[in-house]
Amino acid sequence: MVVTKQFQLPTEEELTVPELNVTAAAYATGAFHLGKYCEEPCKEFMLCRDELNDPRKCLAEGKQVTACGIEFFKKVKKSCLAEFTQYQKCLISSSADYQYAPCRKTQNVFDECVKAHLGVERPRPYYYCEPKIHDSKRPKPPPATYPKYDDATPGLPAEKLKDAKTTYEGQGIFDGGRPY
Amino acid sequence: MSTVTPPQDLPPPGGFGKVQYEKVPHKVVFNGNRLSVAIIASYVVGSVAYYFSCQRMKKIYLEKRSGRIAVQPFLLAERDRQVLKQMRKNRDAEENLMKDVPGWEVGTLYGTPVYNTVGENEWIGYDYDSYYAHTSPADRLEYQDAFLYL
Repeated sequence: MVVTKQFQLPTEEELTVPELNVTAAAYATGAFHLGKYCEEPCKEFMLCRDELNDPRKCLAEGKQVTACGIEFFKKVKKSCLAEFTQYQKCLISSSADYQYAPCRKTQNVFDECVKAHLGVERPRPYYYCEPKIHDSKRPKPPPATYPKYDDATPGLPAEKLKDAKTTYEGQGIFDGGRPY
Repeated sequence: MSTVTPPQDLPPPGGFGKVQYEKVPHKVVFNGNRLSVAIIASYVVGSVAYYFSCQRMKKIYLEKRSGRIAVQPFLLAERDRQVLKQMRKNRDAEENLMKDVPGWEVGTLYGTPVYNTVGENEWIGYDYDSYYAHTSPADRLEYQDAFLYL
């Protein structure tokens, strides 16, 4: 929506930091190690972003995330450039959407190199799909307050809500796991 | 006057063969029972194969999604900064555009705000139309249906 003069926006200088100028293929290639290397800043940023739901309040965390990513890619470029390029080439040419399954050989080579030089081990394949628990130093924001109306529609009783199942519970055996 | 008798059509020696007029039924390979068994077996084999195929595809997609989730913070951080930059640019552009209109206040319609219950400094998001409000239609169309490759 349109922005009024009273809406506080950070200045251009505050927002200008060196960005991660890498392609989607490079992101996909380094994804697992990148996420592991920058796990703490990423968790902090995503928690902030989720709790406060305001990009202006999470700029410092976001800058840390980007700085960490740049640091990671610089280190990889310094020590494992050949392995990285080889793995990236395999990912690009094997499938249309950077699937990891067809590139296990080059992946193992890259993993060993990163482990030797950066000390980052590749996490298990579904590591980032698992829920994470993060202990942040930032104080917890107060819960959202909603106005109370006298003639509001009565909701479900509490015991009904407890029994309710989510839509995602119980996947069928013929579910291929497609995200969409 | 000589009488020449023309050759007469006669049956071959030994006579004609027997005329086949009875129905010859095909040899039955798939009778009803065998057909039923074959169809059911096909279903069973196909279902099992499909089950394993689903498990395989599930692993592939889960791993892919795991990688996407890992890079999500990096993309989001960059995107946030870009959106905030563009918000400021758009606000300045609107101010410059409407400076000659008397009574115009930036972000409102002659002083009437868009929302009454939303605070002045409250984040309510910034949608696509606002982001591309002051760009050329060509730039806008270029990214309108852009597919996110990651």
